[in-house]
Amino acid sequence: MLNTRDLEERWLKYKIKSYIPYAIIVVSLVVIILITSIFFNANKKEKELALVSEIKQEKQIENTQSVATTVIEKTEPKKIIVEIKKEVTQEVPKTINLASQNNLQKSSDEPFKLSPSLDFMKKMQHSSLPYHQNEPVQQQKSTSPVIEEVQDLGIEENVEIALVEEKPEKITIKRRDSSDDIRHIIKRFKKNNNPALSLFIAKKYYEMGEYHKAYNYALITNEIDRNIDASWIVFTKSLVKLDQKDMAIKTLRKYIENSHSSSAKILLDEILAGKFK
Amino acid sequence: MSSSIYIKSKNVFLDTVNSKDYVQLDRVSTIYQALKDSIKKPLKMILLYGKPGTGKSMFLTKLYNDLSSSQIVHIYQTPILDESEFYKVLAQDIFSTKYSGELNFTQFMKIVNNSDIGSIPVVLLDEAQLYSDNLMEKIRLISDTRTIKFVITLHKTEEEDLIAKEHFQTRIWESIELENASNAELKIYIQKKLMKANCFDSANMFTAKSVNKIFKLTNGNYRDTNKLLYALFDIYSAYDENHQLSSIGTTQVSNKLIEMSAIHTGLINA
Repeated sequence: MLNTRDLEERWLKYKIKSYIPYAIIVVSLVVIILITSIFFNANKKEKELALVSEIKQEKQIENTQSVATTVIEKTEPKKIIVEIKKEVTQEVPKTINLASQNNLQKSSDEPFKLSPSLDFMKKMQHSSLPYHQNEPVQQQKSTSPVIEEVQDLGIEENVEIALVEEKPEKITIKRRDSSDDIRHIIKRFKKNNNPALSLFIAKKYYEMGEYHKAYNYALITNEIDRNIDASWIVFTKSLVKLDQKDMAIKTLRKYIENSHSSSAKILLDEILAGKFK
Repeated sequence: MSSSIYIKSKNVFLDTVNSKDYVQLDRVSTIYQALKDSIKKPLKMILLYGKPGTGKSMFLTKLYNDLSSSQIVHIYQTPILDESEFYKVLAQDIFSTKYSGELNFTQFMKIVNNSDIGSIPVVLLDEAQLYSDNLMEKIRLISDTRTIKFVITLHKTEEEDLIAKEHFQTRIWESIELENASNAELKIYIQKKLMKANCFDSANMFTAKSVNKIFKLTNGNYRDTNKLLYALFDIYSAYDENHQLSSIGTTQVSNKLIEMSAIHTGLINA
């Protein structure tokens, strides 16, 4: 008679033994899958983190770029001024070259281009200033159409830069009615390119102590019409105020040579004598 | 099913060499016919070889039973290791010559040459691998005289193959190899064996799945299969006696019990 109990026990042990390799394979597979999934997830997280940090960096770069652009915007007028100054000191009558430089600058700053609204146009029509009526006559006098075109672009550029600087500083701090007037006049000037308007703006800015802008608008006026004494006077005065006395004297002398203007001579004497500072 | 069926089925697989238990399978029948034909041919010696448990002894017994009615056949299932004794037994059985003293090869050859028995006697020697090299050489010499035809069985091992090569390579004219059963043959073998003993219920329990399991364990070896199935029906009868059969079922052979019987017979080392 067989001892079936003993046999069953042996059989159970045998079954357990026979399942061990399968169990090991299954467990090892599970472990491998777990490890790979953990590794994969970790990689994914790392990638996500890297992406997030990249995005952050990009944002930071964008911010810095925007800051930089604003800084550049703020600093660029000075550069332009310096460049223009140099050229002016070398050859004052060369307006086309200056215009082409302005053109190049314009292409890089195009996104910040301002365009007048229709409301303003209406306002402008209603509230036309007395000197606006003389505008067509003065325009005919002033320059050739080619120069006009080129200078127009240059003007736009300078005006934009001026506005970018002006918005945070002038409007909020000074809160003058004259600044609003200037803005209106600038817009009008942009529209019709009247040297009388630019001269007015230059004078206004000079009065307000914004010599850079005054210099810019005086220069623009000179480019449109070289024979306006008042414009050259504001231009040289602005240069003196901007600590460019030598350049102011040089420019004034060259202008006197061409125009023999008495008011320019008086101003030169005052500068040389140190009366005008 | 009553326990008597299991006991009856168990006894079917008793490891005994009985020609009545011979199960005719197609391949085995072909081989057997080839062997019978070879004996009719004027061959000196026939070698029947195969792994242990492939049915060599059964073949030899079957051949003896079939031939004994028509010609002089003598079978020696256990080897006669003493040379003198071997000659004396042959002299007595074949030539009816009793020899009291020592009988050597020369004396035996004299007896063989002087005999007048008409037909050539057939001597069937089982487990020939147990004979000494010297005696095997003498057997070869006797067969060369064509006065006695020998059919010998050998286990097929590397060592025994060497014996076969050395002693019989040039002299054996017919060599027949017996192999283990295939899966299908094993199923037929089991079922035929059970049905021969009228154990139809037990025979129906062997499905392809359970036979496949048995085949995996025994590799189709008839002796191992007999041992396994003997143990299997022994366990079945034990379960039947302990009223545990309901937990196993009787419609088909339980894999658990097959494995248990394999553990019991040593086919599984648990």
